[in-house]
Amino acid sequence: MIDRRLFRPEATVSPEKSDWLSFRAAINEGMREEMRRDPWVFQMGEDIAKAAPFGVTSGLAKEFGTERIRDTPCSEVSVLGAAVGAAMGGMRPIVEFQFGDFISVAIDQLTHQAAMLRYLTGGQVQVPIVVRLPCGGGQRCGSQHSQSLYSWFAHAPGIKVALPSTAADAKGLIKSAIRDCNPVLFFEHKALYRTRWPVEEDCRKQDFLIPFGQAAVRREGRDITIVATLVMLHYSLEAAKELEKENISVEVIDPRTLVPLDKDRILSSVRKTGRFLVVDEAYLSCGIQSELISMASESLFSELKTAPRRLGNPGVPVPFEPSLEDAVLPTKAKIIECIRSMMKS
Amino acid sequence: MLSNEAKIEMLRKMLLIRHLENAWGKAYLDEEIDGIPPALSTGQEAVSVGACAALENGDFIFTTHRGQAPQVAMGLDPRKIMAELYCRASGYNKGKSYHVTDFDSGVVGMGGIVAGQVPVAGGMALAQKLKMNERVSLCFFGDGASNEGAVHETTNLAAIWNLPLILLCENNGFCISLPVSRQINTAHIFERAAAYGIPGEMVDGNDPLAVYEAVGRAVTRARSGSGPTLVEAKTFRMGGHLVHDPQRYRSEQEIEMAREQCPIKRFSRKLQDEGLLSSEEYSQMEEEVGLVVKESVEFARQSPPPKVEEAFEDLWCSERC
Repeated sequence: MIDRRLFRPEATVSPEKSDWLSFRAAINEGMREEMRRDPWVFQMGEDIAKAAPFGVTSGLAKEFGTERIRDTPCSEVSVLGAAVGAAMGGMRPIVEFQFGDFISVAIDQLTHQAAMLRYLTGGQVQVPIVVRLPCGGGQRCGSQHSQSLYSWFAHAPGIKVALPSTAADAKGLIKSAIRDCNPVLFFEHKALYRTRWPVEEDCRKQDFLIPFGQAAVRREGRDITIVATLVMLHYSLEAAKELEKENISVEVIDPRTLVPLDKDRILSSVRKTGRFLVVDEAYLSCGIQSELISMASESLFSELKTAPRRLGNPGVPVPFEPSLEDAVLPTKAKIIECIRSMMKS
Repeated sequence: MLSNEAKIEMLRKMLLIRHLENAWGKAYLDEEIDGIPPALSTGQEAVSVGACAALENGDFIFTTHRGQAPQVAMGLDPRKIMAELYCRASGYNKGKSYHVTDFDSGVVGMGGIVAGQVPVAGGMALAQKLKMNERVSLCFFGDGASNEGAVHETTNLAAIWNLPLILLCENNGFCISLPVSRQINTAHIFERAAAYGIPGEMVDGNDPLAVYEAVGRAVTRARSGSGPTLVEAKTFRMGGHLVHDPQRYRSEQEIEMAREQCPIKRFSRKLQDEGLLSSEEYSQMEEEVGLVVKESVEFARQSPPPKVEEAFEDLWCSERC
């Protein structure tokens, strides 16, 4: 399903997939619908009007004009700040950073200004912004273009974090993000942009929203619970399918949003299986994997059949060289191996 | 043109800033309040009073950590300002911040991160432009903040997007202990405007009428769609960076020079010389302001602190739009 041809032209779509929705088109469709619905929604980003970096904003400037689809200079601090101020002034900005890693340049505007101003003013202001952040490895983009930095922001108070893993979720979550009155970071895994998905008719409708804080059980199972996000969700599903042959039944949960987090759904699954694995591309140290495992350990310590495990980037920059990159990020094989060892204990 | 009444009101506001802040500083030095010491605007009152007099209802200002002067200049209730500075529930921010905000009056208190308010002010100006409501945003920042990248980025963005933004650099001569001469390699900050292709102006920040006029010109440009202006108001910090600061890095002579430039002394003498205010009327004004400050301190002292539950409130907005 996942290729490594991020910057290559798309292959011709086979006839049976012609009415499937691509991941990037789903985000585009969600934003287009919300911009038609609400005249205060507008967008800022580098090259979004005329040369959409990954095609996500393609065609929007034609419909909405360049006042609402605003190309910006390379100025992450002032652009994110402009979103914060405009949001306080009643607008509903969406910001795209070409690679999500660039949020590091503007972190004060996000964690101190966007996220804290409501609290500091005693609830006088609201900051409804959406920041879209292409993320993730496996695309040979190099260490400063391949990270999965949501742990940084799930750590900070006042920021919602959405992680869509399918086209339908991408559409439903971006629409919910735009309608949310809080700062939302919307992480888009670059490897998912080209994927295509059969979607229900409902998904194409104007009011199709995926609420924040509702995890999806992507596969039911009885022996072990995996929580995984983005591309790692798909690797986990593939691993689960293979392990079925060994009579290991894996439940796979997609949290869909990290903040807010559907703790109940995750905990009830871990209570049922007694085994818990978290798979994510985030750096392991103080990463989101650790947070989920702490949560389960605090609540279900005596019900666990074996120590929880986590897979992730062990703590090196995501390498540029292909074979090195594969060595660092979790893979289907690593997930299978980890589950086998957990089933032995 | 400002009426005589308006000029007298400007002087009254300058006095109110001075006395209100002195009372706040005293509360800290007397150990009545604790924590990060007060940042006072002593000596800089004319900048805020002159600048805010050039604004209209619906315009926005974004303040720095030295925010009390513009709050008073915008006409906020001194009792609720003082209650906030005492961390009391009846303060503007429910006692939860040092940075007084009254959003309905167009006052956004920021300044925990130097220059952090500047990009946000640019954003408010963008909203004003997109909404075509003929309102403007004015952003205070200091000489220290002028060296932050956020100011550079925002000035450029405001220039290319023609935003109704007034960038008001309040140059008080010091970034804590570092004099301007050791912060920048040129004589003036306003000259940077040329590099962005926008108008820049320098003004005597201890003359409220000069500030009013310079900022007024910038406001007119912004309101008529001619974009941003950088105004540098040269002023003097008479006190320390924060109220506990003994200023060992400044010479007595230099501090004395700053005191001689006291904008309140200068402006009250000017109004008296022009026959707009008698010395009796000035004394009466001082007395009235003193009373307002006394009441404000009493109001703050008698207000309860926020309830403990407030620590967990106001982070998230639960509305959906």
